[in-house]
Amino acid sequence: MVRQMSEPIIGLLIGVSILIAILGILWTLLFTGMFVYAALFSTKNIENKGVEVAQREAQTLQKFGKDPLSNIRKQYRQDGTDSGLVYANVVYGPSYWHLMIGWFGNLVGGQINILHKVISTGRALATQRLREQAELAGWDEVLNVRIDTSALAPINVPSRVKAVEIFAYGTGVKYKGSEINNSIK
Amino acid sequence: MQHIVEGVIVVNTETIAGKVITKNLGVVGGSTVRAKNVGRDIFAGLKNIVGGELTAYTELLDESRNQAISRMIADATARGANAVINVRFATSAVTAGASELFAYGTAVVVE
Repeated sequence: MVRQMSEPIIGLLIGVSILIAILGILWTLLFTGMFVYAALFSTKNIENKGVEVAQREAQTLQKFGKDPLSNIRKQYRQDGTDSGLVYANVVYGPSYWHLMIGWFGNLVGGQINILHKVISTGRALATQRLREQAELAGWDEVLNVRIDTSALAPINVPSRVKAVEIFAYGTGVKYKGSEINNSIK
Repeated sequence: MQHIVEGVIVVNTETIAGKVITKNLGVVGGSTVRAKNVGRDIFAGLKNIVGGELTAYTELLDESRNQAISRMIADATARGANAVINVRFATSAVTAGASELFAYGTAVVVE
């Protein structure tokens, strides 16, 4: 009787442990594969993203005729008709390959070029998204732009995710009788 | 990502062009702590190996920030304000995978 009861339980335990083992093997293979992919392509991907963002930026600048973002704190023109908050964010992180290069760079000291490139691409993306949000909402200009950078996890806590959040925000302003205002309406 | 609440002007400048501030109702704020579910966390962790944007976290933080802003606006309207000026944001990481988003500003009455 006891044997009959315990057999399915033992079977279940074996099944679960095989499942865990398979998952472990899959994870090891997947991690290695992705790490190799990162080593081969992640620098190229970052560069491509930078080029794409620069193109989008050029388009937006052409549409506005100037850079709509500025960090003037005051609404300096008196003919503003409407204003409101506009913001955009991006969570951007280096690949494990970049982190490894960064770790080696840490030993030598000095500038770590690749990490700098990753973060500045992320920041360019966030500011470009802010411009696009402003365009979408029909603002003529964005004043008092601030760009915050914050780590996703506390610095002293080891975390799975190594990334920063870049958050850009400002005040969109619409002016009386501006061309952009008219073209959107 | 655009946040416009009817009737309440939210800006991060100290003045609003074309409007006169008639009453200062003090500082108002709204905050939220949110985390993504484990499945999305694992997915983002995988994406992190390759690098680049982590879309799941971008969305998470955007949603949370929207919530923080609406709470701030609710606070302001409860005081009878029709605008919030000089809005600032603060982000702090409580633990891995969960962030606190805090938005604060000064509630005012404008004409």
